[in-house]
Amino acid sequence: MKSEKELYPDDTMTAQERFDAVVRLETPDRVPLSLMLYYYAPLHTGTPMSQYMTDPRAYRDVMHQVWEEIGPWDIYYNINPYSRLMYNYVMMMRELWPGIELEENAMAKIDEIQYMDTDDYDLAMKSYGLYADMIFRMRMLPRFSQEAEGKGLMKMAFTLFTHALRQCRFWRDDFKWWRKQGAVVQIGYQAEMPFDTFSQARNVINFSMDLFKQPEKIRQAADHLARNFADTAILSARLMGAPTVQCYCHRTSNSFISPQQFADLAFPSMEMIVNRIVDAGLTPILHCDGDWLRNLKTMRQLPAKKVIIQLDGLTDIFAAKQEIGDHMCIFGDVPAAKLATGTPSEVEEYCHRLIEEVGQDGGFILAGG
Amino acid sequence: MDAHLNEPLTVFRRAFLDFNIDVIADVTDKMLAVGISTRQFLDTCTPLMGQIGEKFEKGEYFLPQLVMAGEMFKTASTRIKSAMPDDASGDPIAEIVLGTPRGDIHDLGKDIFAVLAEASGFAVHNLGVDVPPATFIERLSETGASILGLSSLLTTTFEAIEEIIRLLEQKGMRNNIHVILGGGATEQSLVEKLGVDSQTRDAYEGLNILKALTGDQAKGAVA
Repeated sequence: MKSEKELYPDDTMTAQERFDAVVRLETPDRVPLSLMLYYYAPLHTGTPMSQYMTDPRAYRDVMHQVWEEIGPWDIYYNINPYSRLMYNYVMMMRELWPGIELEENAMAKIDEIQYMDTDDYDLAMKSYGLYADMIFRMRMLPRFSQEAEGKGLMKMAFTLFTHALRQCRFWRDDFKWWRKQGAVVQIGYQAEMPFDTFSQARNVINFSMDLFKQPEKIRQAADHLARNFADTAILSARLMGAPTVQCYCHRTSNSFISPQQFADLAFPSMEMIVNRIVDAGLTPILHCDGDWLRNLKTMRQLPAKKVIIQLDGLTDIFAAKQEIGDHMCIFGDVPAAKLATGTPSEVEEYCHRLIEEVGQDGGFILAGG
Repeated sequence: MDAHLNEPLTVFRRAFLDFNIDVIADVTDKMLAVGISTRQFLDTCTPLMGQIGEKFEKGEYFLPQLVMAGEMFKTASTRIKSAMPDDASGDPIAEIVLGTPRGDIHDLGKDIFAVLAEASGFAVHNLGVDVPPATFIERLSETGASILGLSSLLTTTFEAIEEIIRLLEQKGMRNNIHVILGGGATEQSLVEKLGVDSQTRDAYEGLNILKALTGDQAKGAVA
């Protein structure tokens, strides 16, 4: 389970010890680094994006080559889906993939379609409690996933089960390689949170209207799915052999909803999920896209020194450090635009500022935004 | 304002500011029944959008309120336009060509910006998503628009944006077109790096850029 190897001569901690220390908000020997280079990697190796996205072994080999050529770094940011169906199941978004709907070397793109109606909050609430999240996802999949079209619930369940087993076997094998190199595997399970799933599935325009017309129903439906979301995450992360759960919160920031709506409608299910994952001894990573600054006060109710908050450059990370840096580990946030167009010295300067200010006294993981 | 319009207009204003979208269509029909003109409708709507925009700017309102205001405006204006297709609403303050350049298919921010701009008196030619650079140039030439809005959530659009700027220069159009770049993947440094004129991450701030460009002509949502 643990990576034991030290990565650099001056290191006094392994990557795993460093990761564990920053989650506990302790000061590590140096700030750990997670490289979000899954879209850069095939460009680096000259692998067609279509092959990289559709063949998990090609993805694995590309990432291993990148590690050999530009590594080491501390944390392997693993996306690597076994199939697009698995990816659709966890992310609950319609994706266009290179070599299928897009040209060979295009980046995968999210196709924002509405696939949920107002009545479907009731459908979510009627899903059998112990398996509510799984059942809801399987009911929605044929509405948006190209891989699920025409499949009934039973056939869908069987296909997903076999893909999940293959994903598990594949990841477990691959993770051994990464640990042998001395890296920490970042993600044991990943999925879009229930509240955010509703926002994506309804689309922002309709979801905004739902927030006015039936806010309580949204909260109740998200709460109903929360327990099974957490239980699936815990079981999956354990089976995969990595004790972390990446929870995607693409639509819960103040870029989409007010701090009050967050506190009243989104936070209850988030709190249930996070508490359950923490109680199981795992670390939740809240992938918080957008501007979260005014939500952070509410998030102080989550367990201290147990959670990672991942920011994408739209939250003022320096203000976030003041607001919540004594409560949860901060992850981020070199903006994509800076990495794409900035000079090496501009990027270096920003990274130094992050390390010195956000990384001061620990509790920080340096990464892309 | 004519006295007989007062009551339906008061009801419309109240419904609009209460975000009571379910009654907007009926209230609009009542305004039409008492003979409201397109101009009078716009003169009513734009200050309402302005009040909501101001609260958004102060951090009292958030995206859902902006979206609701946009949807209510669309509902009412569609009914009024279809009831009085020939009624003049006056010349637009300015024309804007808008789109998400090739490499990205996100459209949410762009579409919210479009609705807010239309509600403020601008004519918007929305080209959609994944738009090739040459299409922007063609549309600018056809319409004579002086503002180009480019929306980007992904850095994969940057190459297309540079190509758009190159084409504008090649065609001798660059000095006459103000290029606004908007979206989550953007930051201020891109103004210089990509050769655009302004940058914003939110739709409402985009309207303020339009205000600065068009001076006092802009009303309503442009507070």
